[in-house]
Amino acid sequence: MADVVGGPGLADQIRTVAWLRWRILRNSLRNKSRRLDVIGLIFSGFFSLLFVVGLTFAFYFVTKALFERHLEPLLGLVFLALLVWWQSFPILLAGFAPQFPFRTLLRFPVNLSAFYLIGMAYGLADSAALAALVWMVAMLAATAVAQPAAVPALLLVCALFTVLNITIERLLGAWVEKLLAKRKSREVFFTIFVLAMVSLQFLNPLMQKYGRAFLPMVRSWVPYLWLLPSSFAGDAVAQSAGHHWVAAFLKFGGLAIYTCIFTTLLGMRYSQLYSGEELNEGAAPARKEKRTALTTQEAQDTVTFVPPQVLAVFRKELLYLKRNTFLFFGLIFPPMMLLFFSVQFGGVHPTALKKGVPPDLFFPGMMAYLVLILIAPSYNSFAYEGRGIQTYFTAPARFREILIAKNLMTIAILLCEIVLCVALVGWRVGLPTTPVLFATLAAIVFSIVGQLTIANWASLSYPRKIEFGKMQGQRNSGMSVLILLGMQILFGGVSGLVLVSGRWSGNPWLPAEAFAVLAAAALGGYFSSLDSFTQLAEKKKEILIDALCR
Amino acid sequence: MPEIAISTEKLTRRFGALTAVDGMDLQVESGQFFGFLGPNGAGKSTTIKMLTGLLAPSSGRVALLGLDFAQNLVEVKRQIGVVPEGMGLFERLSAPEYLEFVGRMYGLDKATTRKRSDELLEFMQLADRSKTMIADYSHGMQKKLALAAAVIHGPRILFLDEPFEGVDALAAGALKELLARMTERGVTIFLTSHVLEIVERLCSHVAIIKKGQLVAQGSMEQLRAGVPSVEGRTLTLEDIFLSVVGQGADRAQLEELSWLT
Repeated sequence: MADVVGGPGLADQIRTVAWLRWRILRNSLRNKSRRLDVIGLIFSGFFSLLFVVGLTFAFYFVTKALFERHLEPLLGLVFLALLVWWQSFPILLAGFAPQFPFRTLLRFPVNLSAFYLIGMAYGLADSAALAALVWMVAMLAATAVAQPAAVPALLLVCALFTVLNITIERLLGAWVEKLLAKRKSREVFFTIFVLAMVSLQFLNPLMQKYGRAFLPMVRSWVPYLWLLPSSFAGDAVAQSAGHHWVAAFLKFGGLAIYTCIFTTLLGMRYSQLYSGEELNEGAAPARKEKRTALTTQEAQDTVTFVPPQVLAVFRKELLYLKRNTFLFFGLIFPPMMLLFFSVQFGGVHPTALKKGVPPDLFFPGMMAYLVLILIAPSYNSFAYEGRGIQTYFTAPARFREILIAKNLMTIAILLCEIVLCVALVGWRVGLPTTPVLFATLAAIVFSIVGQLTIANWASLSYPRKIEFGKMQGQRNSGMSVLILLGMQILFGGVSGLVLVSGRWSGNPWLPAEAFAVLAAAALGGYFSSLDSFTQLAEKKKEILIDALCR
Repeated sequence: MPEIAISTEKLTRRFGALTAVDGMDLQVESGQFFGFLGPNGAGKSTTIKMLTGLLAPSSGRVALLGLDFAQNLVEVKRQIGVVPEGMGLFERLSAPEYLEFVGRMYGLDKATTRKRSDELLEFMQLADRSKTMIADYSHGMQKKLALAAAVIHGPRILFLDEPFEGVDALAAGALKELLARMTERGVTIFLTSHVLEIVERLCSHVAIIKKGQLVAQGSMEQLRAGVPSVEGRTLTLEDIFLSVVGQGADRAQLEELSWLT
């Protein structure tokens, strides 16, 4: 009979989990390929520290000023700032930083109350919580200086407010985990998140246009803030500072009720987890449907001059685009940004400039921006293949066909976006003169074809796997980013020179002619490169398979 | 004289200082159900990757159906089917979409691809999951789909890396029968598996690799003849394997785990 040891104490378990988290972080930094991540971490750590220290002073001085000027009722707003920070930052972090799979702890002999307490301890060790604690200490220090008598009340309120915030944060975290467990909802969540981030760009022009009408509406919401726990916290301190003990007790009671409610909700959520809730539900079997045989017409290829391998990969790319919610909705960004730029800088009444940028400058600039944004994924075009990359090597296809199919997909996307954006620019700012229009279109061909050639080489040489529906750590390899940057500068520089030469020579058609020649040369280069890339793929297959199948 | 389906000459693969496969000479005749065995890290997967074009050899030569692989890359690939180690599936496609993709990559026309795809999905009991994305399949279902994709074009040689791992007993039985029938039709099957009972039951010929070198090769009878017999019973493949490769953990090591036993 094997020996079974007695269970460890709760403190031991918390210590062990803290050790585990530390080892995971340390081991992730030891990975040689993540040296850039370490540099990034040092930078972000430095700036985070600056941020926290800066706001510590802000909390200190604001609290001090409120007590000195007898504006204690406004303390609720300071607590509101803490509440917003505490609850929103961890959700932002869930999108970008790798999360520790907390629920895996349930494999071990942990009882429900221990699981709950470990969860709360986790919440306290969270970076948002640590920053908030520092800021509360600053508030206490300011109170000690401005009105020492209010320190005990503030201390009590801060303690309860901390418990409440950790509870809400853990509850939201558990709900977000449930939401993100399903692939589709995870992708939709990230898409909405990024769309919301991009939409913030419109805040400035909207405020400039509708700001005056918007502010009274915001002011009308202020009275309802008293319902929030932050107001109860602020009022409890304010009332105790004014020695209104009954009111202070009632406000404190309100905060306690909030804490009880969220504690109950978190307890329910954790007990669901504890009882073995399965988040990754498999899809239910579909009704078996016999597919009808293809008719003679359907069985024929609609595009007969293209090899079936190219069509197969093109179709697969199309299906992957449709199923990659993030990438698919990403296609909305360029027109959105273009609309934003046209509002800010173009048209008759731009919001950021006194006079709008003329179409002859605005149009080429916007098209360059479009190419810049949309061609970037081509520099790591195998990113989403995963283990499927092996099929390309076991199938009787040459990589020239696979690359052509992938490039055709990029061109198709670019074409759709360009047509849409030309219409948008035409509507908002107006189209440029004919020579500039033709020069820009020829420059687009030159830039796209030229960049696709280099992008094919970069994709084969420096592949990096990107997973669907995940944001943390999902980026191209450092080398691929450098190549992309270099190529954008090169093609941008060449195009700029050609455009300037047109102005300098006084011949408005010169840039169009020059870009047409460059586009023809780029096309020649592209087609002659395909065979050598097929050989390159054979040479690099180990790198590709290793990078994409891990 | 029977046709040689798979032939290697001094096949070698090095990873830095490590020689994973060391000068391997292998011959597999057409129509054989060939088992390729070895302990973990012996070089099985490296060998199968070199035989299927997923890994370039450091030196040596691979010929499949008499064609030099390096010289006739596309033509050779047309003749073989592979279930690689990681299965090589495009997980964001549904099973019919993936089979259609593979069929077209092998140059099958649309109608044939559709017909074969439907039949294979039915056989693999995946037809009722035809709208589910492969990413949502269980490991066993993915394995069955990878097998379907490997045979959709009717290959002459089939390379299978742990094909029954995770597959339920019912489907595994049907699959074994299908594979046996394929060999009757002259298809060569090259199989690696750690489940020695499966290899013993299915394979007519077996090779054993250890530290990158072939240490035994032949039919079951030839292999039995090569190792000391045990009185009173016929040697199993496990006996042969342990005899050729060496025993696992010894009694002294087991004694150290007395707290567990």
